[in-house]
Amino acid sequence: MQLWFHNENTYPFVPKEITDAATSVRASLPGHLLDPRIAADLFHECMDESLLCDDVGINIVSIEHHSGINSLYGASPIILGALARQTRNVRILSQGTLISLRHDPVRVAEEYATADVMLRGRLDIGFVKSGDSEMASNNANPVGNLERFWEAIDLIAAALKHTDGPMRWEGKHYTHRHINLWPRPYQQPHPPMWAATGDPETSRELGLRGMVNSVVLRGIDGTKRAWGAYRAARAEAGLPEPALDRFAYAAFVYVGDTDEEGVEVGSKLLWFLNTRLKQAPQFSKFLPGRMPPEMAPQVYRTGPRPGETRVARPADGLIGMTAEQAIQRQIMFAGNPDTVFRQIMAAYDTLGGFGHLIFIGRSGYLTHKEAEKGIRLLAKEVLPRVREATRG
Amino acid sequence: MIVHGIELEVLSAGQGRPIVLLHGMTSLAPSAAFPRLLAAHGSVVAPSLPGFGGTARPKDFDTVYDLVHLVRALLDALPGDAVTLVGLSFGGWIAAEVAAAGHPKLARLVLVDPVGIKISDRQTADILDIFNRDPAEVRAAAYHDAPRFAPDFDAMEDAEIVRYARDRDALCLYGWNPYLYNPRLPYWLPRIAVPTLVAWGESDRIVTPAYGRAYAGLIPGARFEAVANAGHHPDIEQPEALAGLIGAFLAE
Repeated sequence: MQLWFHNENTYPFVPKEITDAATSVRASLPGHLLDPRIAADLFHECMDESLLCDDVGINIVSIEHHSGINSLYGASPIILGALARQTRNVRILSQGTLISLRHDPVRVAEEYATADVMLRGRLDIGFVKSGDSEMASNNANPVGNLERFWEAIDLIAAALKHTDGPMRWEGKHYTHRHINLWPRPYQQPHPPMWAATGDPETSRELGLRGMVNSVVLRGIDGTKRAWGAYRAARAEAGLPEPALDRFAYAAFVYVGDTDEEGVEVGSKLLWFLNTRLKQAPQFSKFLPGRMPPEMAPQVYRTGPRPGETRVARPADGLIGMTAEQAIQRQIMFAGNPDTVFRQIMAAYDTLGGFGHLIFIGRSGYLTHKEAEKGIRLLAKEVLPRVREATRG
Repeated sequence: MIVHGIELEVLSAGQGRPIVLLHGMTSLAPSAAFPRLLAAHGSVVAPSLPGFGGTARPKDFDTVYDLVHLVRALLDALPGDAVTLVGLSFGGWIAAEVAAAGHPKLARLVLVDPVGIKISDRQTADILDIFNRDPAEVRAAAYHDAPRFAPDFDAMEDAEIVRYARDRDALCLYGWNPYLYNPRLPYWLPRIAVPTLVAWGESDRIVTPAYGRAYAGLIPGARFEAVANAGHHPDIEQPEALAGLIGAFLAE
């Protein structure tokens, strides 16, 4: 099993009365609330955590989000470039580019080819569908998002593979008269491709394409649905069964010396859920294209009608979750090394195995020092046992 | 009604001169009063544009260009050779595009609180961005008397809410960027060669009456009329007054 460190570089230092009063903490907090000196420290701390991972054999996820206290990583290729130069050993997964929001996929392909060459072939490319306030932050039409997502992936794959001189693209959403990447990527025909989704329809398409399906914080049931769709699509198409390295499970992970420390420090990671998911109604329930119109009656009304059960988006159930609930739902593994090993293996066994575990190891008020301790313990005390237990 | 192979949901009423009524940001409710009041002055044909209301959207039909061609094809298909085109809000934009391009059957044009142009500087929006602003703010801006006329999802039936959500998706698809305007339309509006009435809800804060006067100023000979006690939807808040205004214009 491969382990991947995921850190969104959050900025939790905006006073709570301001975030409580804001309808959308992700997209709309004024920039003057950020102290660039604190942000500079955070960028360097997070880079150091990644370098520690590089030393102890944990791969790194380079993420992209827009825009606010939930993540300072809006300009993802810049972070990827720094990691490409600074790391020496592990693989870097860019997961990912919010590809349906970027207006020029050819430019994205160029960035990835460059990073892959600098990394001497240590790059994995992960795509994220995005949504909600990111549509406004990136000026991207939320209707037709999925169509752009797949066309952009097709275009990037074609651009990375093509080495015979200028290539043309005249698609529905993207056109380009002269695609000719220099440098071409280090890995041939292109770096491995991933996408993060818990949506079974998207997982089906990933299955048909053989891309890695990472599922972030959907818990056991949501993950089973996605990976079940992935496997079913391949079976129906007569394609071989996917290997476990096609599946990545993502959860909060914190390893302490004791169970108490693991849970106490690990629970700080949940800041991520309680803050980053709060979005204004125009970016959430009323965002066009976000769900089929047939679901609108349950979502638009202020409350369910008598006898109706509420349909919620996956993220809604995560807000306000306690550490105990997160552990019980298997979206958090926290405790001493033995406990975390058992928790990881329980999820692994329930899901029929997975080749990658992405762990969110720093968020909110969890400090740099605490993050580094958790990474070290995970690498030293847990990872070898997980590798041993999941070998073959 | 089938136009260019597209099966349009159409609300029809009245007799006499053909009047094509294009809905605004939301499709016309089957029970709407305004089309029936307008039918006192002619034979009203009010299609739900593809993606809106009960009209399916053909694959890849997703631009204002498609809508303009569809409305032109609809004018071709109607009997007679003198059609009045009435456009509300978003439909007003489409009607203005059709009129600027010209159509041999187009005899008169009525624009009611239309969107479609940009007049202010580049950091000032002329059209309140309903996809980027708090729904409560949008609601207050859209109506003279929001508590009475704005949609109340808790009171609406499922089918009405589904229709509303379909309309919102369609509007977003066509109008997301640039937000509900064509940067080149002001340049071509002076080509409009038919008598034009521009009617405006006095309380409209989605697009203000000042924007409306500027809009009318770009259309040769266009008359601007304010509608009292109405916001962005005079057809909903003042259907009698609006129908009367249009009737008088048609009688001229």
